[in-house]
Amino acid sequence: MISSIVLTDLSFALLFILLTLGVYQAFIHLQKKCKQSWLNPMLFSILTLIPILLFFNVPFEHYYQATFPLHKLLEPAVVALGYPLYQHLQTIKKQWRSIVSLLFIGAFIAIFISFVLTMFVINQYDIAVSLSLKSVTTPIGIALTEQLNGNNSITAFAIILAGLFGALLGPSWLSFINVNSPKAQGLAIGAASHALGTATISKISYEHAAYSSLALIISAVITAIFSPLLINTLVHFL
Amino acid sequence: MLGHIIYSILSVSFCLLIGKSIELFLPILPASLYGMAIFTLLLHYRFLNAQRIKPCIEWALANMAVCFVPAGVGIINQFELIKQHGIALIAIIFFTTFLLLTLVGIGYQRKLNQQALTANNESTNDK
Repeated sequence: MISSIVLTDLSFALLFILLTLGVYQAFIHLQKKCKQSWLNPMLFSILTLIPILLFFNVPFEHYYQATFPLHKLLEPAVVALGYPLYQHLQTIKKQWRSIVSLLFIGAFIAIFISFVLTMFVINQYDIAVSLSLKSVTTPIGIALTEQLNGNNSITAFAIILAGLFGALLGPSWLSFINVNSPKAQGLAIGAASHALGTATISKISYEHAAYSSLALIISAVITAIFSPLLINTLVHFL
Repeated sequence: MLGHIIYSILSVSFCLLIGKSIELFLPILPASLYGMAIFTLLLHYRFLNAQRIKPCIEWALANMAVCFVPAGVGIINQFELIKQHGIALIAIIFFTTFLLLTLVGIGYQRKLNQQALTANNESTNDK
């Protein structure tokens, strides 16, 4: 009896992990074929899996439990981000003061406004936390959401949307406001639209790619260190 | 290649393990972020061989987004919230993303313009 339950659970887990991997791989291929950055595999996998779960009447909790091993890989994924940081240490050493202070001010204002605005409009703490953390790369955003008792799925979705906005509209918007240097464009898009923005603008030039990934990593570290402090302080005043 | 894979997995696991131990004593940041910092330092001071790690890490970085699909599917439980506040949510995300883009973009462009101006002045003075 027990062994059959374990077996069903195991096959259930295997089935959903394979389904998730399969759908994701299919969208990776589709994106490569169509060469469209908005065809984000993560976003479209989510949008494909939701109707499947609804159709077969699978509660999200079952799916989440089954795919938990995938979710657990988040921790080593964050550690792996140390590699691009190591690659950029030389650039940071030369200009760390101006870059770090600018990214600090940007992150501070963005978190502050997102949190206050969400509390004002929706008045739900977990949603406000999730929207405040949307500009950082997903692994760090999710890790921080868990630490601050936010809402994981809202964070994941908000991060994708912030990434898409910046990746698709960022370069033309920045040119429009006279920010034309590849370094400044890269830094801005990395800070606001993390890995998705970085992946998209990396095709424009090497400078775009280098400054964007630099901003992505530094913003993530700044947000990780200061957002708990800032959010806990804001909660006292709101 | 198999050696490189094992080497990379062991290096990342080692850093994560140290990160977890630090988190026990200093619970300010998530363990994985401590692990990331240690990984960077070990690579920088050449305790780890970056060349051996490179292919595996690049593969992992390119494919890691799949790990976040389960959390994203959780939006399924938020239909009520989206029905009620969907437009407000998207508006807040849109507005603050553009604010951040503008702030950082203009700030760094100004800094670059200043640097170019100083460099220009110096070269005119030299003449």
